[in-house]
Amino acid sequence: MTTTATPQRARRRRSRLRMRNTLLGWSFILPNFLGFATLTLVPVIVLFYMSLTNWNIFGSSQFVGFDNFVRLVNDGSFRTSFVNTLYYSVMHIPLTIVVSLGLALLLNNKLRGVAFFRTAAFFPYITSIVAIALVWNLLFSPDYGPINEMLRFIGISNPPGWLTSANWSMPAVVIISTWRDMGYYMVLFLAALQTVPRELHEAARMDGANVFERFWNVTLPSLRPTMFFVTVMLTINSFKIFDLILVLTNGGPGQSTMVISQFIYRKGFEENNFGYASAASVVLFLLCIIVTIVQFLWNQRKSAR
Amino acid sequence: MKRIITVTAGLTIGALALAGCSGGGSEGDGVAEDGSLTLTLSAWSVATTPEFQLLADAFHEKNPNVTVEVKDYDPAEYNTLLTTDLAAGKGPDIITQKEVKFLTTFQEGGQLLDVSDVELPEGIGGADSYKVDGTAYATPYRQDSWVLFYNKDLFEQAGVEAPDGSWTWEDYDAAAEELTSKLDGAKGTYEHGWQSTLQGFANAQNGADVLAGEYDYMKPFYERVLKLQEDGAQESFNTVTANQLTYQGEFGKQKAAMMPMGTWFVATLISQQASGDADDFEWGIAPAPQLDESTTGTDAVPVTFGDPTGFGINANINDDKVEAAKEFLAFAASEEAATALAEIGITPALLTDPVIDAYFGSEGAPQDELSTFAVQTHETRPENPASNKTAAVQNILNDMHSAILSESASVDDAIAEAEGRVATEVG
Repeated sequence: MTTTATPQRARRRRSRLRMRNTLLGWSFILPNFLGFATLTLVPVIVLFYMSLTNWNIFGSSQFVGFDNFVRLVNDGSFRTSFVNTLYYSVMHIPLTIVVSLGLALLLNNKLRGVAFFRTAAFFPYITSIVAIALVWNLLFSPDYGPINEMLRFIGISNPPGWLTSANWSMPAVVIISTWRDMGYYMVLFLAALQTVPRELHEAARMDGANVFERFWNVTLPSLRPTMFFVTVMLTINSFKIFDLILVLTNGGPGQSTMVISQFIYRKGFEENNFGYASAASVVLFLLCIIVTIVQFLWNQRKSAR
Repeated sequence: MKRIITVTAGLTIGALALAGCSGGGSEGDGVAEDGSLTLTLSAWSVATTPEFQLLADAFHEKNPNVTVEVKDYDPAEYNTLLTTDLAAGKGPDIITQKEVKFLTTFQEGGQLLDVSDVELPEGIGGADSYKVDGTAYATPYRQDSWVLFYNKDLFEQAGVEAPDGSWTWEDYDAAAEELTSKLDGAKGTYEHGWQSTLQGFANAQNGADVLAGEYDYMKPFYERVLKLQEDGAQESFNTVTANQLTYQGEFGKQKAAMMPMGTWFVATLISQQASGDADDFEWGIAPAPQLDESTTGTDAVPVTFGDPTGFGINANINDDKVEAAKEFLAFAASEEAATALAEIGITPALLTDPVIDAYFGSEGAPQDELSTFAVQTHETRPENPASNKTAAVQNILNDMHSAILSESASVDDAIAEAEGRVATEVG
């Protein structure tokens, strides 16, 4: 039919083909995208609008411009929860990376029963968070808990009050959340360790590098893509920490473990200030995205080198 | 390519518009042609909370053409789920008020009908908790108030004089200390970790307005409890929270000889003693200890606190059903309903003599006069005033509570911080 196609026609046909392919591709992601759009994208867009109103769930809302954000800046509780979130993240992120990488290196060795130990390390991650909270609360119990019994046994006469003390509650939460998350990140590191080229290690060994030099100069640089992913995920998850703290301490004692997510929950679902809570959510969202972009740029600069 | 993007953008905007307009109107009208009506009523844990079905059945028996259908909600998320249903226009006809502090949320949102014209029996408690600027938006049917539970066997064993209705908090403290020293293993008293356990009494007995933002009057209450904790006369707050102790276990298993608690515990204790979950011992109820002697003694009216549970009517209810719904509210508050509630161990808002007889008529209930007096006679002040600031203020006071009792902050510092927060954060 089109034996003598002009170049113009051919171009049109090619563009039609590309269109067809694009549509085909989009139709494949459509089911997922529809779910994402209705359950995530639309609510997020609505959230941005809500943060500029004083909506209390019923009826109509009033547009109040940036009033909510001004109020946030002057809100002592929000400042406290902001600082607490950073405090938690600064302790939790490096600690989890070190512990999970250490575990991965350890369990990357050929040793008897390694599958069992890998599973054991992953277990906390799949345990119900309510059960975790209950058991750790008992373990950390200041007067009768086994942890303080042990500390007293080794001669510390005045052990910390852990989750019941304003100074120690956040470190205790960090210990528990690190214990919980380490298995998951360990699996990621384990997978990455399998891809480190053996030749590099051999070459380094030939050059006389010892174990630490090989780790620092061969293993770590090879892990960079994974390290980047883990850091980004850990950062976002640390900023968003909510469920564990809610069931462990409910923000207390006082406001010592109050974090941004819990602030949002309180203002929204307990005090019915949905507009104000949305504004706090927007701040949390911006915090996550800014830190992620910084990490992304930093990673790009490193990989360009 | 460009066109596709335009189309997608259009679709997204369409979806937004769809999501934006939620359906209005209520679910079916529930009015049949023969004039019979169906009223829906929100409730929680219907399987273990028989009061709703009891009221629904009793009302239907009196008014055969009105059926009350109980809608079950998850108790922990009751207010959130109900709020969502109401916002979507799918709320029940009769809105049960589980917590008073949510009343203003519903009222300000225009979800509650004015029910000031529902006639309530004289002497019913808790009706004022539902009034906003003099207009009633719900009516009470149940009102628990806080009393002092005590274990008669442990008092006898320790040789300590049991409460006689004349106690101030100093008498209570002295008894707790004495009991602790004379009992082997059991503590003198148990105070649960809730903020109500302490702040409720401090607010009610000082006649304080919790929204006023000044909390110095709580200081003596905290100092007392800290002393009891330090002396070991009651379990420390830190152990209560860390070990997640239950008040039912502490009193029911005789680990403490006294316990300030709400009257809802009466029914629980009776049933747990019957089932063997609690030890078998003699117990009684005394009026809550008082701030000073002006309100002590059985010829005075002790001051305590508590919040009612009540029913409101959905503002969007079908006009044909308003009359029947109001009748239901009046019925739930009546002596007849109160007696039926009392028989199953619920503390009704109306406590006349026949109701009290029914209340103490069940097997396992204490029979002494002081217990009857404690349940029937009290001035119960509302724990949560009907205001849109209550939830925020109570959250701040809860932080203060945990800071003081965990000994993370001194009483003065914590109170000063709470006052500062109420002044700057509650708008």
